[in-house]
Amino acid sequence: MARRLAKTDVVIIGAGWTGLTAAYELSHAGKRCIVLERGSYRHDADDFAAPKEHDELKYAVHHAHMINTRTETLTFRNNSNQRALPMRRLGSFLPGVGLGGAGIHWNGQLWRPLPSDLEMRSHYESRYGADFIPDDLNVQDWGVTYNELEPHLDFYEKICGTSGTSGQMADGPREGGNPFEGPRSTDYPNPPMRQPIGPTKFGEAAQKLGYHPFPMPAANATKEYTNPYGAKLHPCTYCGFCERFGCGYYAKADPIICVYDQIKNHENFEIRFKAQVLRVEKSDDGKTATGVTYLTDAGEEVFQPADIVCMNAYGLWNAHLMLVSGLGKPYDPKTRSGTVGRNYAYQTMAGVNVFFDDQVVTNPFMGAGALGTVIDDFNGDNFDHSNLGFLGGGYIACTQTNGRPINYQPTPDGTPAWGADWKRAVRENYLHHASLTVHGSSMATPVNYLDLDPTWKDAYGRPLLRMTFNFPENDRRMADYVMGKAHEIARNMENVKSTSASNRAAEGSDYSIVPYQTTHNTGGTVMGTDPATSVVNRFGQMWDHHNVFVFGAGLFPQNLGYNPTGPLMGVAYWTLEHMKNDYIANPRPLMDA
Amino acid sequence: MNTRHRLLICFALAAFLPGHVTGQAIPVDQSYDTARDLFNMTVDTPPDPAMLARGQAIATHGAGDVQSCITCHSVGGQGDGSGSFPRLTGQPAWYLDKQLDDYTSGARPDDLMTTVAQSLSEDDRAAVSAYYASLAAPLRVARGQLPVNEIQKGAAIARAGSPEKGLPACTNCHGPDGTGNPPSVPYLAGQYANYMVLQLDRWRRGKRGNDFGGMMSAIARKMTPEDMRAISEYYERVANPLTTKDPE
Repeated sequence: MARRLAKTDVVIIGAGWTGLTAAYELSHAGKRCIVLERGSYRHDADDFAAPKEHDELKYAVHHAHMINTRTETLTFRNNSNQRALPMRRLGSFLPGVGLGGAGIHWNGQLWRPLPSDLEMRSHYESRYGADFIPDDLNVQDWGVTYNELEPHLDFYEKICGTSGTSGQMADGPREGGNPFEGPRSTDYPNPPMRQPIGPTKFGEAAQKLGYHPFPMPAANATKEYTNPYGAKLHPCTYCGFCERFGCGYYAKADPIICVYDQIKNHENFEIRFKAQVLRVEKSDDGKTATGVTYLTDAGEEVFQPADIVCMNAYGLWNAHLMLVSGLGKPYDPKTRSGTVGRNYAYQTMAGVNVFFDDQVVTNPFMGAGALGTVIDDFNGDNFDHSNLGFLGGGYIACTQTNGRPINYQPTPDGTPAWGADWKRAVRENYLHHASLTVHGSSMATPVNYLDLDPTWKDAYGRPLLRMTFNFPENDRRMADYVMGKAHEIARNMENVKSTSASNRAAEGSDYSIVPYQTTHNTGGTVMGTDPATSVVNRFGQMWDHHNVFVFGAGLFPQNLGYNPTGPLMGVAYWTLEHMKNDYIANPRPLMDA
Repeated sequence: MNTRHRLLICFALAAFLPGHVTGQAIPVDQSYDTARDLFNMTVDTPPDPAMLARGQAIATHGAGDVQSCITCHSVGGQGDGSGSFPRLTGQPAWYLDKQLDDYTSGARPDDLMTTVAQSLSEDDRAAVSAYYASLAAPLRVARGQLPVNEIQKGAAIARAGSPEKGLPACTNCHGPDGTGNPPSVPYLAGQYANYMVLQLDRWRRGKRGNDFGGMMSAIARKMTPEDMRAISEYYERVANPLTTKDPE
């Protein structure tokens, strides 16, 4: 029997962006919060300082900031006729561990969803007709609108000291920003990052073709900045160590400097490290959760009772925790009933490599995770889908993230993979390369889902999460189409010697969990207004257990063509607002099922 | 194109000069220099002998109304140790030239140097910068003793920052051993503590703000005067082959 600890108001599972933010907001609302983090304490100043942090082998290749697959992983298969096998090394995506979670090693590409993204089914049906969405796509509305989220999206941009150029303000469009974005209540808090020559040439070519380039919104401060919580950020140095690294410069926003440092001394806040949550416990009638059972650093199983349970783990692990705890109804692909694990989606990635002549020197080592120029002309429903045979889209970005020696060796098509010719090609092209990314949406289908593996167990004896996923035909067509547009821009860029395009979701190739693509796993615990097709209601509250609130990209009914952190934090602040202003005073289901 | 772009990014060990280029030579794209100050600041030509000779002439004899640099910064560029006059020997030429430009424009106001820099032509500022960047390090001079805990405090902030103060480590930009990150980031190792304390105080009070994005002001505003002293005393004592060499 697990030892029972003293009861708290709120127990929060996970100390990443959403968990620490929940702790900040609820502590200030007078609730005693205990955050359980399975990883260790770490801090930007002493743990992420250069030169120690600028170790590409340790952090980028050996994944020192990410989960250890020996204790916790998942199994994977492309379809339900296959036997799933455990992912023994990280590859396609890189979940984090430790204070700050994956918010430490993110790239800081900070987006808002399009208004039409959040009402996707309604929007497509009203624009293209009720029959436009095929039956094999589980396209759903989010249950929350852009206007409802806008103040929260805006606030999170201020938490991060986001740099960018506005495209749409309440009183009309602005020059140089994204003309397709929803109307903003305020400008970005910081001016945009300075664009290197590659992205500049991309923007010029895109403009000539009639598209609308703008600087990518970046969670990197471009000048001295104090966020609404009081955190002081410094301007980015373009050091080229964002993705897979922590930032020792106080420039890339992360949950430690932006949130944790501002809440750590609050009387209502407590955090316990090396606390591995094993399951959420339910009351006898099953209608509420009573708290969580976790394993301490010393290996002791303890029970932490709480009035409210906040699930703030990485999206996949929230779904896993629900399944091993018996929260909600597991999705069954045969009957297509149940919701936990349903509507898992990923991100559809394609790209174009651009090789310049000697006139263009790119200096790729001067980079940042969100440094680049973007067009949004082929994202969401920003273009006419009438005769295209697919839904969704993606942004096309020319980014300059790094020039690190192990992983940055761009060579043109036809270059041997090793030997003298390869070395010569690396030498000749290192300073003359740009990369265009197609960052595409991912539609949910009835056959892509998460459940528990019948064979494999984790280090704690629990069944592993099993992922069943392949790219839907819809997304393969979408990626090919948008990649074609990216390739057209590449060919129209000045001083270009050669280009080569590739689509991860190309026709005939299955999704592979081995090569890195992106850490944007979504769905499995989706939000909505119908308990038959969603795990949580539009406030992030579980339909079946009203004192369990769920956060993160697991809430997305299908994945956007954008990076998920901005949208998921907008939803997190929306949820917290309703917890603070409504639920805490009167705990109950906030929506009728 | 700015003159600075024509200067060699001297790693400035005299042994490598003249005629030996260190670092990679990269051509400058002229059409983008103003919008992208951070990019392509490296250059394609080493300083020619005539440029170095001109720099030496200005340093030792002055130019026009400008008194010679050595009056204050001494013949070897090592200053006089008071802290009013920083060590120049071996600082990146790009950095030195930018400081002279900023004295000239008022971006870095200084009672003495503003007038001096304004009296020099653009080419003369570039020449004298290249000259000081190329100078050989003078012999090491013994520094006074400080309590060990003071040095350790400075070293800790310099190398690991301070989570409590939200202070990033100096090593992030100034290099593992404080030897700088040419062309834009100066060395701290071997620089005079009094000079560094004065500059940190100026960054803090907004009397100096000529760096990229207000970086140093943001940092200095998180330091106490004691932090500034401890870090500066630590760095003054860090060995740096650019600033001093040991007697053979």
